[in-house]
Amino acid sequence: MSRRRRKKHDAGGVEVNLTAMLDMAFQLLAFFVLTFKPAPIEGQISLRMPPPQPVVMARTKDKKAGDTNKTVTTGLDSLVISAFPNKSGGLGTMQVFDQPVATLAGLDAELRDKLTAANTPFEQVVIQVHSGLRYDALMSVIDICTRQKMADGKPLSKLSFVELDPDAK
Amino acid sequence: MASSGKEGEPDMVPMLDMVFQLITFFMLVINFKSASMDLELKLPVVGSARPVDMKGSKDMLVLNINELGQLKVFGEVKEDIEGYIANEGAASRLAVRAKDRDFKDTDDLPSNVVVRADQATPFKLLNRVIKACQDNGFRNFSMKALNKKPGS
Repeated sequence: MSRRRRKKHDAGGVEVNLTAMLDMAFQLLAFFVLTFKPAPIEGQISLRMPPPQPVVMARTKDKKAGDTNKTVTTGLDSLVISAFPNKSGGLGTMQVFDQPVATLAGLDAELRDKLTAANTPFEQVVIQVHSGLRYDALMSVIDICTRQKMADGKPLSKLSFVELDPDAK
Repeated sequence: MASSGKEGEPDMVPMLDMVFQLITFFMLVINFKSASMDLELKLPVVGSARPVDMKGSKDMLVLNINELGQLKVFGEVKEDIEGYIANEGAASRLAVRAKDRDFKDTDDLPSNVVVRADQATPFKLLNRVIKACQDNGFRNFSMKALNKKPGS
């Protein structure tokens, strides 16, 4: 090596000074090391949200005895789920139309029955959400909904939300 | 070196090689898109959340919503949520119209709204943002969540 270098020197060869490049390379390295922040691996649930439709409030005088439908009158193609929070904002009670559902597993079974029936009229799901329900509780309901398949075998993707009055129970 | 009286020249080439390899590594793994994400948010954990599909990726509008219902974009809190989303909708509409002249104001925007909300955000505050998006023609939403609890 030293012999070769000496030969180069002797022949008038040019020796590149690497210090400047090394300085620059270290600066670049420092920048990348300092700005490196690996993002957590996130998933997503893709939804096609239909345009907001006017919601007709069910009047008290129109209600029949035992009618617990609280808020909306929807088209035939909408399956209505209601989600209410507990005291901490987590998932409390649920309803599919007027029928109470105790657990997420129950909701799953109920939706499967209603959506996969051969003559099902439902094309979309409307989730009536109490204004105080936390996002994670809502996502657990959405999770159940997006797992469903329609009668034609396609996954359910049409979802929309309706905000319930804070006084609704 | 001192004993011989000659000037010692350390060989910089291997170090330079290593540094360039490190730089190449960091350049490849760096993701500037993460700048649009508020990493302080605690996303909900949902089993069916799927990894982000980058195929056919469209224009994205990333909205970070904290538990107080504040909208954060690139770390900046947007006070006028409806105004900001309306501006983004108008910009998106212009971009689509530049490609498709038949695009009407009433048509649905092809852009994807990425909702990154804290798990403790009440629906009332979240719905304000979603409704503003819907009012401005956005129809495609991606609700961000984690597949499993962090650290598990």
